[in-house]
Amino acid sequence: MVALLLINFVLMAFDAREMTSGQRVVRVWTQTAADFVQSPVTTITSSVGNYFVSISNLRSAQSENAQLKQHVQELEVELKQKEELASENTRLRSMLQLREQSKYKVLTARVIGRDPSVWFDSSIINRGSLDGVALNMPVVTDGGLVGRVTAVSPLTSQVDLITRDKSGLGAVIGQIGDSNALGVVTGTSKKDLLEMKYVPGIVDVHIGQSVFTTGQDGIFPPGLKVGEIVNLIQGSATTPHVIQIRPAAHLDSMQEVGVLLYEAPARTEFEQKLPNAVKNK
Amino acid sequence: MEGVKLTISLIIAIILQWTLRTIWEPLVYIDFPLIIVVYAALQRNAIRAILFGTISGLFVDALSGGLLGANGFVKTLIAYVVSEVARRVYMDNLLLRMPVLAGASVVHALLYYSLHRLFGQPPAGDVLVTTAYSLIGTTIAGTFIYLLLQSLGTDRARPRKRDMFSQRRQTRRRNPIRLGK
Repeated sequence: MVALLLINFVLMAFDAREMTSGQRVVRVWTQTAADFVQSPVTTITSSVGNYFVSISNLRSAQSENAQLKQHVQELEVELKQKEELASENTRLRSMLQLREQSKYKVLTARVIGRDPSVWFDSSIINRGSLDGVALNMPVVTDGGLVGRVTAVSPLTSQVDLITRDKSGLGAVIGQIGDSNALGVVTGTSKKDLLEMKYVPGIVDVHIGQSVFTTGQDGIFPPGLKVGEIVNLIQGSATTPHVIQIRPAAHLDSMQEVGVLLYEAPARTEFEQKLPNAVKNK
Repeated sequence: MEGVKLTISLIIAIILQWTLRTIWEPLVYIDFPLIIVVYAALQRNAIRAILFGTISGLFVDALSGGLLGANGFVKTLIAYVVSEVARRVYMDNLLLRMPVLAGASVVHALLYYSLHRLFGQPPAGDVLVTTAYSLIGTTIAGTFIYLLLQSLGTDRARPRKRDMFSQRRQTRRRNPIRLGK
């Protein structure tokens, strides 16, 4: 028993040291093994869930059927108009996003597992190093920023959410260039709340404003939506604002995410020599 | 036979722990591997319980954002303590096993939290609330799982009377016929 306890203790000490920087080998290979269980289970449970949803939908289908028939003709007219609008929207959108897409590709991934421990909230996705995923790559949804990749196996990856209290990212309130309300967004112990620190108290900030990444943290690219301000305690000339943010992405219910194949610009030699700098392996 | 049954139960418990959170979030408060580890420890087989604790703990840690080895450490310790207590105290009644499981759940949560604090990786969530939910979830689920495991057990697997009592009670009876001689 003492030997087993000792092994566990050494593993913990080793893992705590490697937590922020290196690739965790044991975790990576266990994730690969677990993928063979998690992927089928996720597929089965989602299909079973859909089946029960369809049964419950059948109950109300009869009454809805009559109403729907009435709306069909109206909708057909609207549909033609919307199809034209949609095609126009797609064209405009693709033109607008062309510049962003040329910077980094988005790799779509499915969330196949959640953290089995009640104390943490990381997620496992079905994309790994074989798909081009690497450590610290940003993960997003259509809503906003989700987190970053913290462990990569050939088939799966582990994603730490931005709500984790150890996470941090450079952010700005409002659009970059238009605002000087810069600060650092960190996770809190609460699952649906972030905190923004070091925003000068003299800067004008309002509840409801959006927060975006600045790209200065060396992990996340600039311009990703982090969330919206939901609570604010005004600072002063000498004290910063106390800002609470609700994440833009629905972190509890996400099923599909996008991994940004983005590699942050290399750090300068001076930055890499700093004592708290993340060492590249 | 009992070993095979418990090993299969442990594998199922680990798979459930890995997957159930994706189906319904509150199910994460049930610690399935801990339930099986405590059950194995209550069978008075300390070595098997300790091995179960380490293996299941490491498998859960591997997919968790927490420290690798933290679950293994805590579950190993709990397995040893429970098996030692079970060797000395009669605990073959479900009503007696429930408080043991509840206590194990609380100790597990607090130790796990403390270890992460010790290594500078404080977990998210309020410790009291999370411990309370874990206690409720694990105890209720554990009660049903213990009933299921007991119903699946064979007669040979059930505890023998000799195992329930200490050796001192088994005093050697003197043959009254030979005494009369």
